[in-house]
Amino acid sequence: MNTFFYGVLPYIALTIFVGGTIVRYTFFERGWTTKSSEFLSKKDLKWANPIFHLGLLMAFGGHFVGILVPKFVTEAAGTDEAAYHMMSLGGGLPAGALFLLGFLLLLRRRFAGSDYMKVNTSPMDRWLYLVLFLTIVSGCIGTLSNIPGTFDYRESIAPWFRSLLMMQPNVSYMSGVPAVFQFHMMMWMLLAILFPFTRLVHCLSLPFEYLFRSNIIYRKK
Amino acid sequence: MKIKAQISMVMNLDKCIGCHTCSITCKNVWTNRQGAEYMYFNNVETKPGIGYPKHWEDQAKWKGGWELKDGQLQLRSGSKPERLLKLFYHPDQPELDDYYEPWTYDYETLISSKRKNHQPIARPRSLITQKRMDIKWGPNWEDDLADGESARQDYNLKQMASDITLEFHDLFMKYLPRVCNHCLNPACVAACPSGAIYKRDEDGVVLVSQDGCRGWRHCVPACPYKKVYFNWKTNKAEKCIFCFPRLENGLPTVCADTCVGRLRYMGVLLYDMDQVKDAASTPDKGQIYGSVLDILQDPNDPAVIRAARKAGIPENWIKAAQDSPVYRMVKEWKVALPLHAEYRTLPMVWYVPPLSPITRRVEADVFLPEVEDMRIPLAYLAELFSAGNVPVITKTLQRLLDMRLVMRAQETGDPLPRRLEYDVDTYKAMYRLMGIAKYKDRFNIPAGTQEKSREKLNQLQGSCGYTCPGGC
Repeated sequence: MNTFFYGVLPYIALTIFVGGTIVRYTFFERGWTTKSSEFLSKKDLKWANPIFHLGLLMAFGGHFVGILVPKFVTEAAGTDEAAYHMMSLGGGLPAGALFLLGFLLLLRRRFAGSDYMKVNTSPMDRWLYLVLFLTIVSGCIGTLSNIPGTFDYRESIAPWFRSLLMMQPNVSYMSGVPAVFQFHMMMWMLLAILFPFTRLVHCLSLPFEYLFRSNIIYRKK
Repeated sequence: MKIKAQISMVMNLDKCIGCHTCSITCKNVWTNRQGAEYMYFNNVETKPGIGYPKHWEDQAKWKGGWELKDGQLQLRSGSKPERLLKLFYHPDQPELDDYYEPWTYDYETLISSKRKNHQPIARPRSLITQKRMDIKWGPNWEDDLADGESARQDYNLKQMASDITLEFHDLFMKYLPRVCNHCLNPACVAACPSGAIYKRDEDGVVLVSQDGCRGWRHCVPACPYKKVYFNWKTNKAEKCIFCFPRLENGLPTVCADTCVGRLRYMGVLLYDMDQVKDAASTPDKGQIYGSVLDILQDPNDPAVIRAARKAGIPENWIKAAQDSPVYRMVKEWKVALPLHAEYRTLPMVWYVPPLSPITRRVEADVFLPEVEDMRIPLAYLAELFSAGNVPVITKTLQRLLDMRLVMRAQETGDPLPRRLEYDVDTYKAMYRLMGIAKYKDRFNIPAGTQEKSREKLNQLQGSCGYTCPGGC
């Protein structure tokens, strides 16, 4: 079982994630949008959306460091396990709190707010919010449950993920990982599979080039 | 000097009867679909009034257009980094209720209702929520001052020094048809984070690439005229496209073609692209209009023609520019003015300001009033069309009155009372263009890039003709 879930499924998920996104961008760019709903309901977006995205960016940064930077690197830099754990909690707890709070506010806005919001909520959006909710909640529970620091994901999940990226999956890392973290793994893979088919793609369109372009654009037919 | 061509429009407000034919034909062609029901690429407002969307002229609220910051031109909504922070929540974006909630009626009940004591009625139903709704506001709620109170909230009235009473005996109103102005210095283009909005190189039409648009929606508040709309179904921005498929075939826009009062004129203007920024940065807002006139180039000047050819403008476009009704009214006769020049976007839709009935202050036996004697206060027109510069509007109206004076004298044989600004033939030409111009005189639109497409077709000679152009 583990061989499938941690040796095969991740590749299926990442293939759909990358391939699907490329296909959508190439052939279906017309539907590529933030799907902003500010036009339909503005007031209740004011705090919820920035909080959500701030939490998201913080969580993303934390995952990036925690998973992609090997333990020996941080230790070589003079951070022992206890100090690292404190730092990750110091960043991770507020990140999770903001992320979850923003998401709950947005869910309330979408499903218990203005009637207009229905036209901005497709069936795919509903599935996405369910998976996203389970992902965030499992991540938060994982972080909370591991405050004592008994489980070291940098000895298990992180090397497993890096082994995936090296194209030499080592499933044995994942035996003995607590259930909530295993659930979190399933959820991100599901999220990666859904990604190309949802509004999430807008995160790839952050308009940095805007800062460097001229104000007025002329374009030939 | 870098010459560019611009398709431009003039609306002669003297002839607008507020019939909304332009809005309806435009709507039937472009925005009668889900997500766009609330959009009017062309709408006609009664002024004074708050307009569509509500209070669109109040830039303290929407932060639309440009402003001068330490002499530098900058979008009123802030610097680029400041605006990128607004991606997650844009404080200045209008929402649906700032326009109106679109609706239909339950027409079905008219024929499917059971027998009752009372006639069945078709009740309104929201096109967004599909639920029954009370209509509280519409795209044209203030038609002919119908809303009463909202006329008093007109932004331009607030800007005027004198207090205007809306008592019956000195009521005034006028119509203001509005489309996208296809500006020379468009704020929507500058505000688009994705670079999806652009000005077409060939004819200056401002378009939103539906592929490139990411729905960051910064263009919507950035346009001071609120003529970029957010489609709630596709989640992308849309705007008036100046009916470019028609323009490319030498036809005027639908709104201009169907105008019952025949008050719209379309033609080519040549301008110097290098001077656009300077014109938009004119320190005194009342002088922006003059600066724009300065960058419009004389299409009969040999130097301009040479520069135009060098810039790759086709011969039929240069010819059309020389014979452009718009150039005549805007630059030669100076009877057409830009709407709210103080937004610094350099709009390319121009308005001939309306004359209006004589006020009661001046009694009956005047056959032609002075400009000051007309009902619509000069200061009000100045707020709309000359950024508050009253002498500009006075002179413009005087030209229109002089034209009538000359034509009256032609009939009665009366001597002309005073020295006029232009010679008599000019007034006669003005009369012909503004009074009796036929379709071909009102519209002079060179058909797209026909010359170039013919070249392309010639290149295809000898290839298998029925497959894709450019090769099999």
